[in-house]
Amino acid sequence: MTFPTDENVLVGLDRADDAGVYRLSDDLALIQTVDFFTPIVDDPYWFGQIAAANALSDVYAMGGVPKTAMNLVGFPLKTMDISILRQIIQGGIDKMVEAQVVLVGGHSVEDSELKYGLSVTGFVHPERFLVKKNLKQGDALILTKPLGTGIINTAIKGGLASDELIERVTRLMAALNRSAAEVMAAYPVHACTDITGFGLLGHLAEMVCGSGHSLLVQSAKVPILPEASEYAAMGLVPAGAYHNKTFREHMVSFEASVDALMRDILFDPQTSGGLLISVAGERAEALVADLMAKGIDQAAVIGSVIADPSEKIFVQ
Amino acid sequence: MKEVDARGLSCPAPVLQTKAILEQEPLDTIKVIVDNAASQQNVDRFLKSQGFETALAKEGEDFTIVGKGGAKSTPQMDPAPASKSGVQQIMVMCTTDRMGFGDDELGLKLMVNFIRTLKEMGPDLWRLVLVNNGVKLAIEGSAVLSELQAYEKEGITILVCGTCLEHFKLLERKQVGITTNMLDIVTAMQLADKVISI
Repeated sequence: MTFPTDENVLVGLDRADDAGVYRLSDDLALIQTVDFFTPIVDDPYWFGQIAAANALSDVYAMGGVPKTAMNLVGFPLKTMDISILRQIIQGGIDKMVEAQVVLVGGHSVEDSELKYGLSVTGFVHPERFLVKKNLKQGDALILTKPLGTGIINTAIKGGLASDELIERVTRLMAALNRSAAEVMAAYPVHACTDITGFGLLGHLAEMVCGSGHSLLVQSAKVPILPEASEYAAMGLVPAGAYHNKTFREHMVSFEASVDALMRDILFDPQTSGGLLISVAGERAEALVADLMAKGIDQAAVIGSVIADPSEKIFVQ
Repeated sequence: MKEVDARGLSCPAPVLQTKAILEQEPLDTIKVIVDNAASQQNVDRFLKSQGFETALAKEGEDFTIVGKGGAKSTPQMDPAPASKSGVQQIMVMCTTDRMGFGDDELGLKLMVNFIRTLKEMGPDLWRLVLVNNGVKLAIEGSAVLSELQAYEKEGITILVCGTCLEHFKLLERKQVGITTNMLDIVTAMQLADKVISI
């Protein structure tokens, strides 16, 4: 398939990045992205917040600033009370207010299954946007939110999670990647993406493909929600994690000491996950300290870009 | 061997279904059939976490998990506070919620008194098995519920017949004891030094 393009398309479909980037002038480029999904938590207001945070995240991952958004709604009018939709949209709006993004429109259709998300437009300097595929040897990899939301959402679906855990994970998923994006802007960041459905290793695989380098991941340093291991051991791993593993396993070399539960967590699909930042190694600790000072207290250096042209991911 | 058909279900439903069955009835061997590899791995992991040894297979389009030895965690195999010197293992089986024949009202009173007085057996009282009308002693509203709960706290195993609970539609209302099956009951009889049947 060929896609229509022109000379101002800076990031298009051919690069399959987090969002599209289009140059408007020499000092301004447009970032566009769209994301929506079916409910991951029972509370409609929080679902709205999470869906909005997730859609906005793509703009932050491109190093941009989101400015406007439009609602995308699929709603089962015949079987669900309209007040639920109001709560969802209120959640979305509150998240937009927090992000200083304005809602300028939207579109709803009747749908057998509830869906909500946003189309988001943001801005960035045409020479300063961040893509996934620009790893530099000697970079350190930083992750800004803990992993495990896919597994824990599976436990929530099964009615096995405590209220306290549900609330903690909900807040984590609803947290904007805004502060992280603002902090990293002052650092020599070479590549960035946000962790979503492919899981940490799936997104790292995307970054390393075609880079001419390899990655080293230190699993002990990866921030993880403590309950995730417990639920993974009970067999509450979402099917998505297995699919991610099957799809990317050939690129990953696990040291024997990395147990099966950890492997699943590293492939666990995340909802509204953190940013994955590849920054010049010598500045990594300072960036983490800065992130922590801004309240992103689980941020950690989890690995590095190494001189090995095989484009593999070594997990120890 | 109990077979669980969890085909057509996606994660976490096969694990939850398996979990519900094991909670209802402790099983030594269980076979779970699913229709995708992810569910197979999840059920495998769950059964292992419950003490089963597992074997995985692909049968046509289906994926199966056979778990064995799970009943280790249930009373029938536990090495029992058994042969402590001088202590015998007495199993008391109540097949009714009233004692003796004749007057039912009297029978009920006697049964309450019997259960309360059982503690006089001291450490010899090993297992209490409730079958047929006996399961009614273990449900909400039973006159001896608090006594039974106290026995359980002291470490006396109370086995409640699952088939009987189901027959009386009382599964949801059981307040004490472990739901059990005939194999457990027969094994308990074999292990006991003395079986008293009421």
